[in-house]
Amino acid sequence: MKADGTIVARKLCKSFGSHQVLRGIDLSVSAGEISCIIGPSGSGKSTLLRCINGLETIDRGVLRVNGEDFGYVERERAYHAVRPQVLAEQRARIGMVFQQFNLFPNMTAEGNVMSGPVLVKKVDRKVARDRARELLAQVGLDGCGHKYPAQLSGGQQQRVAIARALAMEPSIMLFDEPTSALDPELVGEVLAVMRDLAHNGMTMVVVTHEMGFARDVADEVLFMDGGVAVERGDAREVLANPREGRTREFLERVL
Amino acid sequence: MPELLPEDKKRITPKRPRDFVCWAVALAIVGGLVYTTVTNENYQWPVVFSYFTTESILDGLVLTMILTVVSMVLGTLLGLLLAVMRMSHQAPISGLARLYVTFFRGTPVLVQLIFWFNIAALYPNISIGIPFTDVSTPVDVNALMTPLTAAIVGLTLNQAAYMAEIIRGGFASVGRGQYEAADSLGMRGFTRLRHVIIPQTMPAVIPATGNQVIGMLKETSLVSVLGVAELLNSTQSIYARTYQTIPLLIVASLWYLIMTMALSVPQSVIERRFSRSTRRPAAATTAVEPAAGRPVSTTRESLL
Repeated sequence: MKADGTIVARKLCKSFGSHQVLRGIDLSVSAGEISCIIGPSGSGKSTLLRCINGLETIDRGVLRVNGEDFGYVERERAYHAVRPQVLAEQRARIGMVFQQFNLFPNMTAEGNVMSGPVLVKKVDRKVARDRARELLAQVGLDGCGHKYPAQLSGGQQQRVAIARALAMEPSIMLFDEPTSALDPELVGEVLAVMRDLAHNGMTMVVVTHEMGFARDVADEVLFMDGGVAVERGDAREVLANPREGRTREFLERVL
Repeated sequence: MPELLPEDKKRITPKRPRDFVCWAVALAIVGGLVYTTVTNENYQWPVVFSYFTTESILDGLVLTMILTVVSMVLGTLLGLLLAVMRMSHQAPISGLARLYVTFFRGTPVLVQLIFWFNIAALYPNISIGIPFTDVSTPVDVNALMTPLTAAIVGLTLNQAAYMAEIIRGGFASVGRGQYEAADSLGMRGFTRLRHVIIPQTMPAVIPATGNQVIGMLKETSLVSVLGVAELLNSTQSIYARTYQTIPLLIVASLWYLIMTMALSVPQSVIERRFSRSTRRPAAATTAVEPAAGRPVSTTRESLL
């Protein structure tokens, strides 16, 4: 099974009813690259991210993830949706971290991390539990495995969510505003874990408002507004010397 | 005696007339009721006690319990199926479930019971078999639909409609993010439902189901019209002979009361157990102990 950790999107279009959220977006992320998507709210950046793992369907455009068409197969004059089984397999190779954590409240932290391997990959429970403990230690949550999400702080919950996604051994990690729902003093611990991942060569696409993180960690920054890519380029370059007026305006407001 | 400082003095709310009036009225009502139940000989308390543990009454009691458990279990399973059907994106499937619920909630359960008992008038013979083959078994509906079968079928089908609505409410209480998180891990329909969604519906479903069990326990008395010898029917057959109507109805009422009170105990225990994972312990809300292990940077300076 190919899982080379690349994403290629060409002219992605997506509408909710008559509202066009994505108007022909291009995105290209190579293996091990960190791409940050920034932009004002409602610019379509979360929708773009959600399209990449099939939480939203796409209306038009090409989307290739891990070297193969995602969610659809090209046959003659159209793209045909794949069977749910195939979609689930493709999704299992992409980790997703949500703004609201979305941990399963009926499972402990360890249970959450084990859930993917045990329920989807049918990994032996013992093996999965050992791996879950390792991953929890990796995100700095040694000994918190028996706690329920409600007993953890927001920052801890988000780190469990990252461990849960990593447990599936994804080739790509998607982050949808992972620190936006956190109290300011808890943001740092989550970003630290994400930096760690970046250093270890994970392909990452991060929708974020943390410009410091984007500047320090990202290889490429994509500035979106109104469903189009306004500006893209080297992270430091775009954040320091934006070429487009709209980018400059946005950066002046958030920095 | 040392002088009491103003700031050390107790604050007292004096009792007012209305406090005593409330007590007086309540005591007068209860006292009057107790007085009449004790002195009015028509209650025939000795008769109540003599029949309280008669064999036929106890048999009826057991049958009432069996009817409750069987109808409740089957009704819940069918209700779960209906609730899942109702959530389906396939319009015909959710439409069927909706039709079922509308029909069974829209007609009185007493009518349904009598209807099932007389179903043979509508379909005297059915044959169970595999379509397009010769394999089939004819069934005589009249023989099949004994009063007990009719009772279980009627109560179960009716209960399923109510349970479907309760379980659907439970599903509605689970946020979209939970489905998306399960999807993003590659979970599929049944796994997602069984391990992620259904456990989370429990805090909403369990208390309501408890009420349904208590309701069902009392509802079983309706099947006495079919001649099923449950608790009410057993008392009726005694007073039909002895004309001691009131004391025997008191016997039945006391047993129903005892059973419903007994049921409310496990209900509160289960309710507490299922709220465990969602309840946030008071200590955890403010003081979260720092995680052991690798220290994690919690400052933002280095990042900005």
